[in-house]
Amino acid sequence: MNAAAEELDPVGLSDAAPESLWTKGLYKFRRDRVGMWSFAVVLLYVGIALGVWLGFWATGWADLAGGKWEPVSGAHWFGTNIIGQDIFDRAIYSTKTSFEVGLVVAVLATALGAILGAIAGFFSGSWLDELILWLMGVLDSIPFLLFVAAIAYTLQSIPEISKYSMHIAMIVTFWITAGRLVRGEVIKLKEMEYVDAAHALGVPEYTIIFRHILPNTAHILLVQATITFVAAIKSEVILSFLGLGVKDSMSWGLMISESSQEVLAGFFNNFLAASVLLFGLVMAFNLFSDALQDALDPRTVAD
Amino acid sequence: MRLLLLLLVSLLAACGNEQGEDSDTAGLRVYHHSSDGAPTSLDPVQAATLYANLIVVNAYDTLYSYKYLERPYALKPNLAAAMPEVSGDGLTYTIKLKRGVHFIDDPAFDGGKGREVTTADVVYSILRHFDPETRPQGAWLWQGRVAGLEEWKAAGPDYDRLPDGLEIVDDYTLRIHLLQPYPQLLYTLAMGYSGVVPREAVEAYGREFGLRPVGSGPFRVVRYDTEKLIFEPNLNWRWEPVDLAAEGFDPATQGFTGIEVLDGQRPPFVDRFEISFIKESAARWNSFTKGNEIQYAGVPVELVDRVLASKDPVSLAPEYEALYQVRSDIEAGFVYSAFNMDMEFGTDPDPQQNERNRALRCAMIKGFDWERRNDSFYVNLGKVFPGVIPPVVPEYDPDASVDSVTRDVAGARQLLAANGWTPETLPTMVYGTVGSVRSRQFYEQFRAWMMEIGFPREKIVLREFATFGDLNKRWRESQLPLISAGWGLDYPDAENTLQLFYGPNKAPGSNSSNYNNPEYDALFEQAAVMLPSPERTKIYRRMNQMVIDDCVAITGLSRTRISVWHREVLMYPDTSIVGGFFFPFVALQDEKGLRLAPEPTPEVN
Amino acid sequence: MELFSYSLRKLATGIPLIIGVTLVSFLLMVYFGPDKTFELVGKNPTQEQIDEIRAQLGYDQPMVVRYLDYLREIVTLDFGNSESTGERINALLARTIPVSIAVALPGFILGNLLGVGLGLLAAFYRGRWPDKMIMGSAAIGMSISFLIVIIAFQIILSSSYGLNLFPVRGWSVDSFGDYVSYVTVPTLATVFVALGYNTRFYRSVIVEETTRDHVRTARAFGVPSLQLYCKLILKNCLIPIITRIMFSIPFVVISGSLLIESYFGIPGIGKVTYDAIITGDQPILKAVVALTAIMLVVVQLLTDIMYRWVDPRVSLK
Repeated sequence: MNAAAEELDPVGLSDAAPESLWTKGLYKFRRDRVGMWSFAVVLLYVGIALGVWLGFWATGWADLAGGKWEPVSGAHWFGTNIIGQDIFDRAIYSTKTSFEVGLVVAVLATALGAILGAIAGFFSGSWLDELILWLMGVLDSIPFLLFVAAIAYTLQSIPEISKYSMHIAMIVTFWITAGRLVRGEVIKLKEMEYVDAAHALGVPEYTIIFRHILPNTAHILLVQATITFVAAIKSEVILSFLGLGVKDSMSWGLMISESSQEVLAGFFNNFLAASVLLFGLVMAFNLFSDALQDALDPRTVAD
Repeated sequence: MRLLLLLLVSLLAACGNEQGEDSDTAGLRVYHHSSDGAPTSLDPVQAATLYANLIVVNAYDTLYSYKYLERPYALKPNLAAAMPEVSGDGLTYTIKLKRGVHFIDDPAFDGGKGREVTTADVVYSILRHFDPETRPQGAWLWQGRVAGLEEWKAAGPDYDRLPDGLEIVDDYTLRIHLLQPYPQLLYTLAMGYSGVVPREAVEAYGREFGLRPVGSGPFRVVRYDTEKLIFEPNLNWRWEPVDLAAEGFDPATQGFTGIEVLDGQRPPFVDRFEISFIKESAARWNSFTKGNEIQYAGVPVELVDRVLASKDPVSLAPEYEALYQVRSDIEAGFVYSAFNMDMEFGTDPDPQQNERNRALRCAMIKGFDWERRNDSFYVNLGKVFPGVIPPVVPEYDPDASVDSVTRDVAGARQLLAANGWTPETLPTMVYGTVGSVRSRQFYEQFRAWMMEIGFPREKIVLREFATFGDLNKRWRESQLPLISAGWGLDYPDAENTLQLFYGPNKAPGSNSSNYNNPEYDALFEQAAVMLPSPERTKIYRRMNQMVIDDCVAITGLSRTRISVWHREVLMYPDTSIVGGFFFPFVALQDEKGLRLAPEPTPEVN
Repeated sequence: MELFSYSLRKLATGIPLIIGVTLVSFLLMVYFGPDKTFELVGKNPTQEQIDEIRAQLGYDQPMVVRYLDYLREIVTLDFGNSESTGERINALLARTIPVSIAVALPGFILGNLLGVGLGLLAAFYRGRWPDKMIMGSAAIGMSISFLIVIIAFQIILSSSYGLNLFPVRGWSVDSFGDYVSYVTVPTLATVFVALGYNTRFYRSVIVEETTRDHVRTARAFGVPSLQLYCKLILKNCLIPIITRIMFSIPFVVISGSLLIESYFGIPGIGKVTYDAIITGDQPILKAVVALTAIMLVVVQLLTDIMYRWVDPRVSLK
């Protein structure tokens, strides 16, 4: 199994899942030129983010490296902002923030959705299922931004967590889609023979759910996680603009909100740096996600 | 479904309403003002903000007001007939009211006709600050000063019973009895808080009174929402002919406005006074330069260098010069960051530790770069000054040493090292602020400076609060180490800023620094009962020096506002809390000169 | 009659949802929510004054009492007065919701119409270059942040750096011309952002339909493509289309477009809600949340009824 395949199959699910879906998916994905290119771009961003994380570059994002609104120059590739910080460093540093937000939200929201969705699906029709469905309905009905703001307030009194109020709010809302998808899939899967067999062998119910059924929804979860990743990055921008987002760090959303007054005065550096980088990542991830979806769709795999 | 129908109907109704509102304004003299924020309530007891105060003092009468043009600010009688008679001990003020002043017509009155304003209305309006039902914000102006107010409140607000301190001598005479001399009393009677309201309207409109002002001021509100307020002149108001000399006109500094032509003319000079509330400075500027929208604006920080030809004296670049007037004025207030002296780096019983803490605070003050702050955000037009007596008040000392506002990184590092502060032992500084782009930039700049004097990055922490109330709560509960705030003067007397460090005012009061120095407090109490005099100024300056020497606050800077207005508008605008009284004098001109009323208005009665 | 009793039953099943939504939002927004007290205390308050204001705002009441109050407000549809301005909440809603609808409606309609149109086109040419072009553009559209679109459109269309055609912000509508000039830029921004998602969604719905057996059969029998699309496919796609549109309505009507309205300074319900968030004006938040939930329940019912109207085989079970 090569590196790309590992990326697609991070936890080695293919051993448990039907072999053909993953190998065929991989085969198909590698023939998808757009998919491969976008994957390469995503990897490039991953590299940038890792470099920031390891302290290779963009370490001076908080320093006052120059004067006010210096133009593009060799020392400041994208110029400086109002207080003299280097815009290039800040834009690069924000890549890390984006990945942090995207990964945390995508992984945790998908995991939460998988667990609750699987439980609801397995016990469909029972009170547990009703309860989870009700919870999904309730959370779906509260306007997103209001909900995030409310969570931000509630967590404000706990300074250690208040930094993550945006992450928490997104996880609490974004798990629902994954939950519904998994629930539907599990309802189908639990009628399969091997589940009946496991029942007959006296395998405990939760072992059946999490060891035997849930791994078979891995392709859905993987695609859903990439979609959630994009949604989280995009929401971060808007939430940070509204002052509900990233707190003690730097992000593209903060840069864009900083620029919203500046652009009307003819200063575009902040705006362009942040929005071009943001667009690149979201676009690549969107295309990657599409390619993944095509590759892992059982119906098209069967073609 | 009903709801939907209702919505549709109201949608149609809204469209219908909004058509043709303009048709009857053709030919009228309309002045389009703008403001960078909207008031939330027009009830005088809640006129806490600049924005609310500006509207309230023009919709309601106050006993006194500031002269239109005189600087430093000087009072003149407004609803009062004359300046008060003050008893020799300074404890009794007798104020005569003008006769024949009426509230505007409103359905709340019997027969819908506005009745005459009497002493009882003035007393009622002040008492409302001591009635929790009205959610008042101005009680601190009179509490502990005017006799009997606490007792009146404690007995349960009953407007038919009067406190000892507010005596209605007759319908046109008010006598105020003070517990101790209060030289600032008259200033408080020029604030929006003391706007005179009729009891009938307050009772008729209840909670919605703040939306429907019923006053006796020069203007009446015909529309008010979060985007716009429209005033029309109250034609029954005493529109006395303009007497520029009496208003303190100074041809040298104010002659450029062209307002001389108004001398002797009888206002109102506009038929409609529209105020757009536009928070975003760039949007406001754009609307201003369109030509047919707002006629007054501020110059956005981002554009100052392009718009101005010179900063001191302020003048416009040629392409703007032909169209606009410009004025720079220093704000009545200042910005500063105070240390919370109750925190671990504040006052300490152990003298040695106390000294170490002082060194830490002094080092942070040395690390702060006022010059750069002024350059980044106030285009070098702000006025940096030492201590807490801002340039706008008469007690300001232009010759004071500027050491406390001069950056000295080496000195700061030295001070820290000499007192054993290392990156490990330095305390974590939580920088609390309301979440906004600007306050984030303030924080990032502050953090970078503190990093330069030796703070590790993770020890300067941002805590953003989504609402001002949440931030204010932390201040009032003494939970934040740094209080970065702006203070708008309520009256032109340094007492108003010095009280920010007066011990008994500590949290939840206005002294958010919790500075508690018995010597300072004694001086404050001594000065509080003194009339303006050189001795009082001396005491003020001594107190100021204490704040500087004890390194209580990183302070301060008074911002300079650049206001611009279209040339066809004749005025000398001032939107500070102590300003705001220029509205009645605003006039418009065209090629033929001053625009007078289109025709004698028949409605005058 | 059957419809009526069905409606009643359906509405009754909505009650747990409303209770859930109100309880969650009550806990988050009201009980642990922003504290208005310190917006109202003035510059130099005493502890006594702070306590008085807390009492005025009802913050000193126990949680259960306050929640029951909220439920009572929902049942009577009377949410009291705004804590900031003192305005009646109902008056405030009646003033702002029409504005929000006026702002959002053109973009909403255009975004969906164009989405269906482009979706049809893409599905019709599935796999060929028009499809690829449309879907490529959709992918680009989906990748640009709403915020960037708003700012970019504002620069291009409204600022002196661009065409300077429309007002930068505000809402001073006195005539239809004013309306058009204020609504154009927000509409273009909304359409731009929504179009990518809508086109993708509608295309996939339509493609799904074209691969069904009866369509294949019809095609095999030589039914002309255009007729096929208009009659058979589009009609069968109506259910997902209706669902998507109907369920967006409550958010469009009640929550408004918070971002659009606060950026363009439009006094709609979205801006009011945003202001309520940043000033802690709880009665407004309570009203907005409750009305959104109620609308959702009503919309669910209407959607079910419309399903049957579109496709009589669907029974009201």
